[in-house]
Parts: sequence; C-alpha cells; structure tokens
Amino acid sequence: MTERGSLSKEEARDLFLQYRAATDEDERLALREKLVDQYIGLVEFLARRFKNRGEPLEDLTQVGMIGLLKAIERFDLEREVEFSTYATPTVVGELKRHFRDKGWAVRVPRRLQELHLELTKMISLLGQDLGRSPTVPELAKATGHSEEQVLEGLEIAQAYNFSSLDAPLDSDDEGSSTFADQIGSEDEQIENLEYWASLAPEVSKLPEREQTILFLRFYKGLTQSEIADKLGISQMHVSRLLNRTLTRLRGAFED
Amino acid sequence: MDKVSISIPASPQYLQVVRLIATGLASRLTFTIDEIEDLKIGVDELAAYLTGTQGREGTLDIEFVIESDRIKIRGVGNFAPGDKIRTDLTEFSRQILKTVADEAVLEVSNGVPSFFLTKNKQS
Repeated sequence: MTERGSLSKEEARDLFLQYRAATDEDERLALREKLVDQYIGLVEFLARRFKNRGEPLEDLTQVGMIGLLKAIERFDLEREVEFSTYATPTVVGELKRHFRDKGWAVRVPRRLQELHLELTKMISLLGQDLGRSPTVPELAKATGHSEEQVLEGLEIAQAYNFSSLDAPLDSDDEGSSTFADQIGSEDEQIENLEYWASLAPEVSKLPEREQTILFLRFYKGLTQSEIADKLGISQMHVSRLLNRTLTRLRGAFED
Repeated sequence: MDKVSISIPASPQYLQVVRLIATGLASRLTFTIDEIEDLKIGVDELAAYLTGTQGREGTLDIEFVIESDRIKIRGVGNFAPGDKIRTDLTEFSRQILKTVADEAVLEVSNGVPSFFLTKNKQS
C-alpha cells in the first residue's frame, strides 16, 4: 500500500511505466490504485476549491476522481511535464462539467441551493431508513420545512437546468464512460447498446452515462433512487439528467 | 374524488406548471419521491406530443382527478383545425410510459387530440 503522495518524481514515473507495461488486468488495476493513492491529494485539493457551491466535498472528490482516472489513462510519459501539472486541468474540467450538468452555472439563489442540498441528502438518508423512496410529507417533517418549500426545492432544480438543453445531442462526453463501467459486465453494456439501437438510434448518440440511466430506468426498471445508489450520485441528479435527456430526445424525434 | 383543472398555452415552457401541480397533488396522496418523478416524466412525455417542441397556437386543457390511491390526468389540445399532430406513440415513448405510468393513452377523437394517464400509488 502506497502512502498518498509519498513517491518521489522518479518513483512515480516508474509506477507509470509499470502501469503502461502491465498486461495482466489485476496487476493493472493494482498499479492504477497505487497511482490514484499517489495523486488523491491533488484531487482533494482541487475539489475543495469548489466546495462553496452547495455540493458536499465528498461528492466533489468523487467527481474529481473521474478526472484523475482520465488523466492517468492519457498522460504521455514522453512529455517533459509533471503528472500533477498535466492532471490539474482535467480534474478541474471534470468538476466544472459536473456543475454545468447540475445547472448551477445559472445563478441559483443561495437559499434554494441550500434547500436543494438539504433535500438531496435527506432523500438519500430517509431512503435508507425507510427502505423506499420518501414522501413529501416525510421530507418536510425531517427537514423542518413546509411541504410547499419541499415541493419548491424539488422542482426548482429542474427549472435551473434549462440552459444545458441546447447542448448538442452527440456532445463529446468521454468522462461518462466511468459511469458505464459501474453498471458492471460487458454483456450488460452490449445488451444496453443493442437495445437502444433497435428502439431509438438517437439514444446511441447520447453520452454513455445518460444511456446508462435510460437503460437502468426504462429497461431494467430500477427506480431513480436505485439508479442513484448504483451510480453513486443523488436521486435529484438522476432526475435532472433523465429529464434533460428525455427533453432532448423529444426534439430529436420530432425533427 | 377531487378535481383540479388548468388551461395553459400549448407551449413546452408551461409544462413546468403542470408538473408542479401534479407534484403538489401527488404529494397530498403521499406518493413517494420516486412515484412523483415517474408521474412528472409521464405527463411530460404525453403532453410533449400535444405541444410539440416549439409550441402551438391554442391551449392545452389539463384535468387532474385525485382518488384515494391514484391520480388521473387528462389533457386535451384546443388547436386551430387542421394542425397536424402526431398521435402514434414512438416505441421509445411506449417503453417510457410503460415504466412510469399504469395507464397511458394518446388519441385523436373528432380531430381533437388528447392524452390520458393514470398513476397508482404503490406503497
């Protein structure tokens, strides 16, 4: 087990070389984990720069990790640049994309951001306690807000996300492959692709994460809360992505 | 059995109001958040056929019927005669509606397009 950030420049470079050379899958994953341990501090540092925007730091760190993994895959050892220098824009890019996805690029009043954050957490907590998704009265009781406030908090997130509807359908979104990775087997992913290709070719142009969410919701029949658990994001984030995707697709069908 | 009605301009941007009402009513029936999300997606999916992505001249009249353990929503398009509206659901829409609603119909009768949706409370 490597201590975080403990390797010298040369040792880190060696680790990269070993990682690139490794052919055995288990070995590769073990080496990648060592690289991640080495640079997790960088991710945490960068994630902290975004922490005042109404998102829990641990979520931001997770998002940053996606960027780190991308950077690890793409880093070119031939270039005379330190990995941390190379990785920083990738990690920051991932964090910014996350906020763009969440629609916070459009200024959301602080009160609503806080309400939203509180509800996001409470939906997850209550969900675990109850073994099902909570109701609005339950959320109101648990947070001490009125039911109207809860309703406002639930719906407002959607309203603030409209800016991203104009993004092109086949936008470059490589980072989302990590979400697809999480749904498991290759078979399942192939099943996913075949299914959509037959049903709606437009879907196959979507980012993988969005495809995955559609697949899990409308083919596998998982609820939004279950998808949220599986992908490690909040139910409200699933809701936003799903709504955005469906709206985009409606446009595509009509054309 | 209670009823709530609303008439909106037939434009997608007003569908948020319909979603809000649907959410408010469903929460009175103590639908779970997941069920409410389904309801919103179902209404959006059907209503989008009537409004189109660009909106139409005319109104969309929505009626919500609240029963003890389910909510029914009917939407009727009041458009200029001769406005061509697609009323055959795509395979994709069918799949979505099958997942999120207990009953979902899109039809034209005497030239008037309408939809109907039922969502039962599960828990």
